[in-house]
Amino acid sequence: MNSDVVAAISRLRADGVLSAGQADLFDRVARRGLVSIRFEIRALLYAGVLLLTSGVGVLVAQHHQEIGPLAIATGITLAAAVCLLWVMRRAAPFSWGEVSSPTVAFDYVLLLGLLLFASALAYVEVQFTVLGPRWAYHLLIVGVVYLLAAYRWDSRTALGLALATLAAWRGLSISLVPAATLGPGVATDLRASAIALGALYVGAAALSARLGRKAHFEEVFANAGLLLGLGGLLSGVLADHRAWDLWLVALLLVAGGVMAVAFRLGRSLYFAAGLVAAYIALVRVLFEPFRYGRHADSIPLLLAALLGSAVLAVIFWAHRRMRDR
Amino acid sequence: MRREAIAWERAAEVDAAARGWRRVGAIEEATYRRIRETFPDPCVTPGAVWRVLTGGVVAAIVLCTLAAMALSVWGSSTEIQVLLLLWGAACLVATEVLEASPRSARRGAAGATSVLGVGLFLVGLGLVLVETVRLRDDDAIDVLLVAAVLTCGLAAWRWGSPLFTGLAGGALFCSLARLPHGRLLWLLAGTALAGAAAWGLDDGRLAPSHRVGAAVLTVIGIGAVYAAANVYSLDEGVLEHLARLAPGREDLPRGARLAAAAATALLPLAVLAWGLGSRRTFLLDTGIVLLALSLVTLRHYVQVAPLWVVLTLSGALLVILALVVERALRRARDGELAGFTAEPLFSDERRQRALQIVPVVAAFTPEAHAPSHEPGFAGEGGRFGGGGAQEKF
Repeated sequence: MNSDVVAAISRLRADGVLSAGQADLFDRVARRGLVSIRFEIRALLYAGVLLLTSGVGVLVAQHHQEIGPLAIATGITLAAAVCLLWVMRRAAPFSWGEVSSPTVAFDYVLLLGLLLFASALAYVEVQFTVLGPRWAYHLLIVGVVYLLAAYRWDSRTALGLALATLAAWRGLSISLVPAATLGPGVATDLRASAIALGALYVGAAALSARLGRKAHFEEVFANAGLLLGLGGLLSGVLADHRAWDLWLVALLLVAGGVMAVAFRLGRSLYFAAGLVAAYIALVRVLFEPFRYGRHADSIPLLLAALLGSAVLAVIFWAHRRMRDR
Repeated sequence: MRREAIAWERAAEVDAAARGWRRVGAIEEATYRRIRETFPDPCVTPGAVWRVLTGGVVAAIVLCTLAAMALSVWGSSTEIQVLLLLWGAACLVATEVLEASPRSARRGAAGATSVLGVGLFLVGLGLVLVETVRLRDDDAIDVLLVAAVLTCGLAAWRWGSPLFTGLAGGALFCSLARLPHGRLLWLLAGTALAGAAAWGLDDGRLAPSHRVGAAVLTVIGIGAVYAAANVYSLDEGVLEHLARLAPGREDLPRGARLAAAAATALLPLAVLAWGLGSRRTFLLDTGIVLLALSLVTLRHYVQVAPLWVVLTLSGALLVILALVVERALRRARDGELAGFTAEPLFSDERRQRALQIVPVVAAFTPEAHAPSHEPGFAGEGGRFGGGGAQEKF
């Protein structure tokens, strides 16, 4: 029981702020007379999908010779088809606006269907080498299917998977899966891919919002794009020892632009991404003149702390004035 | 906690509830404004992004300054110890000052300074114990654990942070595990802690954050009892590895293994029953996690089927269970059954769905392929690039 809310409801009812009907419902929820277990149902569905796909993965890895590739490919494809057919039957008609899921399970059955489809495709590619040396294109196909599914069934989760899979096709990882992450030592072509893909995603975010076509996808597009784009530029500042100063100028321009746009739109997460990227890049500048010398270590650290204080002032200033507080 | 801080927290609780009512359209905007006027919350409360950003930058400032000072006085361990203790104390004083003002209490800075203050104090104390007092490692660990229980406990009491409550609880059980009969102490202390903390869950005299702390302690108590009673933990002597002197196998009382097996099976069910009876979702969540651990334990001892069968079947069962529960709740009268509903009620459903993208993408994204291992790709069909970008920079 949330005793503070219960006491408040009682007072608000007595003062006539809440009607009897409103107060009864709110009081019941505050006293745990009515409890939502929606989160628990979602968690069970997520864990179920995770276990199911893991089970399929283990089956394929351990028993593909005994069962036979054709049987496995057919089995997984059929399972994917069943899930996607269920989704098609339950789905609301297509709309460019936001469509609420018909049931809690809808998103997860869709997720399971898409993951099984991707597993089937990967398995077919491994067994039958359909694409041959261009095998990596299967990631492009999977990413495009995820993207189409995201638009058709209005799934931000599928969109997130699509963007991450398309990034994986270009050799980039924006998930926790260990791969070519954007850090020091990243190859130049990966950096260029990251920046290009980041720009593409941010462009898609802007178009979504401007044209009103799945405008609620904007945040997914933009966050993935900023992560890739700013990460790519930052890796240039940190890892490219010959042209780091050029990367720095580019990063500061882009980060400044991102912060200005975020400020105007009232998007705190975009603002934070720009600010953090700029701060890390500027810290690198602070360390550059002090690489050798008596106070090589302590002075840049003090300067980094001073810079941090300036960043803090920017945060307080922006928070006071931005719409999304 | 300060009296004013408790009052701010109570007002924030009412405001959070009212925002939920407004979000689903259960009240009008005018009603929401009147509620805010009736229960004014004077604190500046930025969104999560701003708080994390502020906390991160404050932590960077503190750590950079500390590192600069440490490098300047480098040479003597005593100086480093003094510096750490002083810096820790300064952070704790800063937390007190920040927490006292409604303009700064919830901005994220106080959280960062409190964590750094306690952390730096404990690291400094550890160095003092090992390098200045020259205690043996085991003695130093014992003293440090007791210090962690006290400092984290005090921080939780003073600032109401559930994080410190959890850390204090964890340190308490780690220190108990180092005593003789640590397993028995875990069982007794875990039961006592869960029972005592459960009394505070609905106690209106406690500050809201202390009630959250009580929930954290309840979970820690249940977890400690389960860890001590689990048959795998008993067989492997998991807790005994934490002790100063591990007892031999013959120290186990007769029937202990059987009792542990029974407890492994029954404890999760008991927690689930408690959660269902009291309609507390955090207990239901704890029960579900313990049940999963018990099933993993069962699988360790009884190889009923190959791994893929177990994974696939348990996954399918979970999905079916979730669907059945959801369907039953949806079809029940008024969408509720025994006080439970699958409706989101006043929670922010849109935000929850947005947040779920992160674990899904993290878990299910395929591994990135290395473009350099792709023969024939670069020259055929043009290179990838958008907005003027090229594959080669």
